[in-house]
Amino acid sequence: MNFRLIANLVAILVFSIGLSMTAPLLVALYYGDGGALALLLSLIATCSLGGAAFLGSRGQEDYTLSHRDGVVIVTLGWIAAGLVATLPYLLSGTLASFTDAYFECISGFTTTGASILTDVERLPKGILFWRAQTQWLGGMGIIVLSIAILPFLGVGGMQLYKAEIPSPVVDKLTPRISDTARTLWKIYILLTVAQIVLLLFGGLSWYDSVCHAFTTLPTGGFSTKNASVGHYHSAYVESIVVAFMFIAGINFSLHYKLIHGRRREFIRDPEFRAYLLVTGAFILIVVLDVCGGKVYPTVWEALRHATFSVVSLLTTTGFVTADFEAWPALSQQILLLCMFLGGMAGSTGGGIKIVRVVLLVKHCYLEILRIIHPHAVTVVKLGRMAVPQTIMRGIWGFFILYIAIFVLAALALAALGMDTMSSISGAATCLGNVGPGLGGIGPMDNFSGVPPAGKWIMIVCMLLGRLEIYTIIVLMIPDFWRK
Amino acid sequence: MRVIIIGAGEVGYHIAKKLSDESQEVVLIDQDPAKVRRIGENLDVQAFLGSGTSPQMLRAAGIQEAELLAAATDRDEVNLIACLLARSLNPHIVKVARVKNREYLAEASLFSRDLLGVDLIINTNDMMVDTILGLMEVPGASEVIDFVGGEVKLVSFLITAESPLAGKRLTDLNAYGGNLLVGAIVRGHKILIPSGRDAIQPMDLVYLVMKRAEVNATLERLDIPTRPLKNVLIVGAGETGTAVAQALDRRRMKVKIIDQDGEKCKKLATVLNRSIVIRGDGADRDLLREEYAGDMDLLIAVTGDEESNVLISLLAKELGTRRTITRVSKPSYMHIVSAIGLDTVINPRMAAVRAILQHIRRGRILSVAPLREEEAEAIEAEALETSDIVNTPLSRVPFPPGAILGAIVRGDEIIIPRGDTVIRPRDRLIIFALQQVSKKIEELLTVKLEYF
Repeated sequence: MNFRLIANLVAILVFSIGLSMTAPLLVALYYGDGGALALLLSLIATCSLGGAAFLGSRGQEDYTLSHRDGVVIVTLGWIAAGLVATLPYLLSGTLASFTDAYFECISGFTTTGASILTDVERLPKGILFWRAQTQWLGGMGIIVLSIAILPFLGVGGMQLYKAEIPSPVVDKLTPRISDTARTLWKIYILLTVAQIVLLLFGGLSWYDSVCHAFTTLPTGGFSTKNASVGHYHSAYVESIVVAFMFIAGINFSLHYKLIHGRRREFIRDPEFRAYLLVTGAFILIVVLDVCGGKVYPTVWEALRHATFSVVSLLTTTGFVTADFEAWPALSQQILLLCMFLGGMAGSTGGGIKIVRVVLLVKHCYLEILRIIHPHAVTVVKLGRMAVPQTIMRGIWGFFILYIAIFVLAALALAALGMDTMSSISGAATCLGNVGPGLGGIGPMDNFSGVPPAGKWIMIVCMLLGRLEIYTIIVLMIPDFWRK
Repeated sequence: MRVIIIGAGEVGYHIAKKLSDESQEVVLIDQDPAKVRRIGENLDVQAFLGSGTSPQMLRAAGIQEAELLAAATDRDEVNLIACLLARSLNPHIVKVARVKNREYLAEASLFSRDLLGVDLIINTNDMMVDTILGLMEVPGASEVIDFVGGEVKLVSFLITAESPLAGKRLTDLNAYGGNLLVGAIVRGHKILIPSGRDAIQPMDLVYLVMKRAEVNATLERLDIPTRPLKNVLIVGAGETGTAVAQALDRRRMKVKIIDQDGEKCKKLATVLNRSIVIRGDGADRDLLREEYAGDMDLLIAVTGDEESNVLISLLAKELGTRRTITRVSKPSYMHIVSAIGLDTVINPRMAAVRAILQHIRRGRILSVAPLREEEAEAIEAEALETSDIVNTPLSRVPFPPGAILGAIVRGDEIIIPRGDTVIRPRDRLIIFALQQVSKKIEELLTVKLEYF
């Protein structure tokens, strides 16, 4: 393993994170409501740290990375990014404890959106902007961003890309990986700008529009308002946010295809159809469950809140407009299920991902078919493509690990004294990078009440969920470190 | 006319045989010495050993003087290159190519005048699929041949002892309504072009002409079950089996397909959506029972081995399968299959030969269907104003013995010819003729009376 090179690349990443603090610094200077000094100090500290580490590990001509190097760089990169990102919170006094600040940062970068902060409206605008920006950077992936902007990575970029986006179906859009990364970021920026403009039409301020777009497209869910998107009481704003959450939950390769006029491929994509179907079905169930005077007097109101909550939780964004803890048990459990499913592979959403669930269900059906026809030859298919056995095995492994980690985390949280609903939903929401849970960490509560050890469990869950488990788990296997 | 045929496989061999029977000059090229020897021994054609994609070989075969090139090897690429070479060596030659690959077939511009200039594409797979689908449309039939774009069908079926037709003379058939027309009867090894006095016997295979819309009603009157075939078991995932399975899969029928080859099964499972692919021996009675072959409406035996196909179909019959379709190519088997109780036999070369014949026959012949071992033909033709069969009562038209005017299609109407019927110009005629008189029929259709 090439530790010098690993250190070198992580240093570049830290330095870039430091540079990106310029944006919140400018915001803080513009509004002058505090936090500017903290952001400036953070910027200087982060850049010097990154710069020093870079100089210390200089002297690399060869940027060839092995798959193992890639895995270490990505994991270390995410951990390090979270560390330096705590500086603005700590230096400005927004959060006093390191645990809380780190929780907030990892929740940001992993686009979870679970927050320790109780009253965000009171905080300086620069700090809140930084909070939104961590999600925006983490959404498309900080490593993908580095691949896009660092020309010297070359082949090594592919190793990093695979480690950060271990989608079951690798979809290289362009012959060169750096072009693919750049293309994805271009689409991401384009969509962000579109949402900002549409939110401005809805009467939001520039600041609120940018901050909300920054947390919608990465399916993050941090808001600048205590009541989240519900603060605006505007059907227009909610529908814009729903639309962009849904868009962000779609595979970005499909957006690329759509932009290039390949509309048929978009519409015919089997995962997209399943995504559409699941979204529609869940909304229908929740609407039937909450309308008719049970929770909401009119169908319209039921539809509005059901759509928002289902899309928000299914895409693992985590914005809220309604207190779904007041909903009947069926609706709550549908929302819990949403946290597990997540968006499409290759989207910014978390969770298990629709494509994996579709393939697992198909595989199960075919296994049942083999009982009826013992000599049947079965092939799991996605659309017209056969899915190789090796990939199916990988997906089963992922699914089992996901459930196992969820169970262990839920048990651990319960052991720390959290109640049943909070511990189960807390583990699910962090592993799925969703945000709000149920019970003590519901849509109207926050995570400040979670015991410190519980916060660390959740931090690990968020990272595991964002990097799709294997990338981190493999580091814990002794064989990984042997030559 | 000089004809060059490339490829002495099943299709090439029979095109060569048919054309040489029609006294054309046939030259055949193949790379397999054994096949070349077999052709030389059995047929009156000149057989060359060599590559059909060699310009030298083609020149030696006399491509400059040839009028027709039929590229009929198993490999699309060879066939297409042969056509390309033929085009450059002789721009006026008519080119017939056998092509299987769907991707090539989808590229219409590939075959256009500008590029390959292929005049006729023969796709035996598609033809087999069409034949099988045609048969499935008329569940009681042993053979279904389309005329007038499918609006008129020639349907053949086996007469059982209980059939209301058994023992009836053709003149007595009027009781079954006007549209019952027996064009030909196959009795044992012989094919008869019947006259009114002939009687139908049990175990005869009769060919009836009927309108598409009336097929089911007619068959029901004759006590032939018309319940649609829904559950289909295909044995053999070769090219035909795969193509049929895909076609039926698209029509959302309940299809099972059996093959022994694991790789083929996997490929097939990838292209099929609803059908079930089973790996195993189709001739294994236990496997057939396990998959409830006896409850199937139809079993299609299309493995590469014809003996197996016959045995599988017999096995299925014994288990209780309603109908079977069996692929048999060897002419020597064709005669015995109906004797051992197999209802329907298909073979790929019949369709290919039919397509080529249609292309070669000039004049107003629209289509030719060989019946049973090509001993007889069903000919679809348009009546020309100048021909001596129009505007004369039929009783005075000199139809040669061994030929019968089966039906006249005038617009939407099918007319059963009588002695006083008069053919009008532009009528479509469906004529049955033994092979030895088909030439005379051709003359009758095209030559003016004044010539005699």
